Amino acid sequence: MRPDPPSGHALSRPRFGQAFRRAERVGKTHGSGQPSRMRPPGYAVLRFRKATFLLHRRSGAVTAALAALLAAACLAYLCVGETYVPPEEALKALFGHPTPHDLVVGTLRTPRMTVGLLVGTAFGVAGALIQTVARNPLASPDIIGISQGASALTVGAMTYGLTSYMVLPYLSVAGGILAAALVYVFAWRGGLHATRFVLIGIGFAIALRSVTTLFMTKGDYLVAQQAQIWMTGSLNGRSWAEVEPLALALLVLLPFVAWAARAQRAVTLDDDTATALGTRLGGVRLGLVLLGVVLASLATGAAGPVDFVALLAPQIARRLTRTAQIPLLSSALLGALVVVIADLLARRLFAPTELPVGVLTAAVGAPYLIWLIARSRTVRNGGTA
Amino acid sequence: MTAPARAAAHARLAAHELTLAYEDRTVVHGLDLAIPDGRVTVVVGPNACGKSTTLRALGRLLKPRGGAVLLDGEALARLPTRHVAQRVGLLPQSPLAPEAITVADLVARGRQPHQRWWQQWSDADETAVTEAMERTDVATLAERPVDELSGGQRQRVWIAMALAQETELLLLDEPTTYLDIAHQVEVLDLVRQLNHDRGRTVVVVLHDLNQAARYADHLVAMKDGRIVATGTPAEVVTEELVREVFGLPCVVIPDPVTGSPLVVPGTPWQPPGLPDGTPAPGPPASPADPADPADRKPAPDERPAS
Repeated sequence: MRPDPPSGHALSRPRFGQAFRRAERVGKTHGSGQPSRMRPPGYAVLRFRKATFLLHRRSGAVTAALAALLAAACLAYLCVGETYVPPEEALKALFGHPTPHDLVVGTLRTPRMTVGLLVGTAFGVAGALIQTVARNPLASPDIIGISQGASALTVGAMTYGLTSYMVLPYLSVAGGILAAALVYVFAWRGGLHATRFVLIGIGFAIALRSVTTLFMTKGDYLVAQQAQIWMTGSLNGRSWAEVEPLALALLVLLPFVAWAARAQRAVTLDDDTATALGTRLGGVRLGLVLLGVVLASLATGAAGPVDFVALLAPQIARRLTRTAQIPLLSSALLGALVVVIADLLARRLFAPTELPVGVLTAAVGAPYLIWLIARSRTVRNGGTA
Repeated sequence: MTAPARAAAHARLAAHELTLAYEDRTVVHGLDLAIPDGRVTVVVGPNACGKSTTLRALGRLLKPRGGAVLLDGEALARLPTRHVAQRVGLLPQSPLAPEAITVADLVARGRQPHQRWWQQWSDADETAVTEAMERTDVATLAERPVDELSGGQRQRVWIAMALAQETELLLLDEPTTYLDIAHQVEVLDLVRQLNHDRGRTVVVVLHDLNQAARYADHLVAMKDGRIVATGTPAEVVTEELVREVFGLPCVVIPDPVTGSPLVVPGTPWQPPGLPDGTPAPGPPASPADPADPADRKPAPDERPAS
């Protein structure tokens, strides 16, 4: 028998049993006879027959707002330029009605914008996936050498005369996967440590960048100039010929992204807990990283390494939605939004001179990166890094 | 009937000639262990004796170097991890919560093995999470971020997550670490209650021998990666065993509240300058071993350096 604690003792606190009974009483006062029901706060449950989905309300609102912003940005993109096109005319041209602006909107601006949208989306999702797996906001594909690997192989091929848009995207993907595999192998020491992974990735990014430079100095003058522009990340002169393979590839990857959106949740827990909850951690991680690498490489192949989009978009998205994991859909929309706005500014800021879009994203992204690194030590001390 | 099948007849979870190693260091050697169904089993032993390692292997967090862990007679390593997670829950020693996650969201993660991507929130999920949170007294914290909680609250949240998983077997790795004595008692009482109300089989690694003796139906004492003794606390916790396993001279008296064995360590160290002949307060050390205070080993309730 346990002696009762002295009554009115300052340290005595409700026991589990008491709490349980109290909860039942609360339930009864509501007339349901059931204890109050517990759901993850901030989530709505959607039901379709037997299927149920959890929807994070704030993420839903953020997604809607971002989609509206993106639509507005796209319209502005189509209207603003060397020749101004009124919005209603731009929309007409976009939906295939004959207007005098067919050439400017339909042939020049729309395909370029579409490539920007797709590239931004791919970078946003890729950054979200790789940052999630590495549990580190610095681990984005443009920091840890994946974009640089894609660039190196692409530029290498260009200097040897391979410029077909049917081949280059695949070479980009191969280069990205190769770079990721190298970083992985060198960072592996009986386990994968996030900081070591990022640092080795940064090392490879620098090394691969100089490999690219080497290819450019080897190649002939014209090719080098073309490669140089591509290297800064440029949407200049993109046509439907580039849209098609990229859109097709992303469409094929879409079901995998749907899988990733759910699988990603499990990876945010620590390894032991995730395994205890039945996550095949090795497989899930490999799948998520591979998907991220392929997306980042495809985007790099289409527009060059548009720096910092993959780094920025997921982190901004997460701060907006305030979810425990990086939201994929919001990251995708933000990536697209950043690229479209950046390219619009790149076109008009120093008109008639056009800047490569990568210059603009870097101008925003670099200060953010510095802030992130400066802050990272304090985060570590907090034990949440 | 094969040996594994025989073991399964007595215990759903068992280890058969289990050898565990980290890289080139073997931690557990040829261990045979059967976890009795519907009981609270407590594993005790000094730091670095392999008790946590064994528990990790029982929960398939560590792949055996040799032998096997058997769940319902099947090798754990061959079962899909999701199916294991529907039957065996495990709370690691220092779990890490995602940044900014809320309490109820974290507890809901315990439902993962019962969910599919098209079934993200069933009525059963809601019932299990509600109940787990009420049992652990964290229902009022539901919308708080886990980062902001105290150590005791956080530990209860993690236990709630493991409960929400609703497994018949539950493995807890030092669940009382970081908790003050009142919270320690609460957690262990909860473990008992679960075992009693639901007939759940619970395996707990504890470093406090007295708590182990109080709460265990079945006690497993380990030293240097081997099992030294198993049985009821009264059978296992003896002065000889404590000296053998922990290297601690002590007396064992009946616990005044529960009657279970209570370990009282030998005389504490005293300054040598004190006048001799004044007996130290408390019971004297074992008569067979005249108390040599300098020999006293550190108490086993220190955190392993991991």
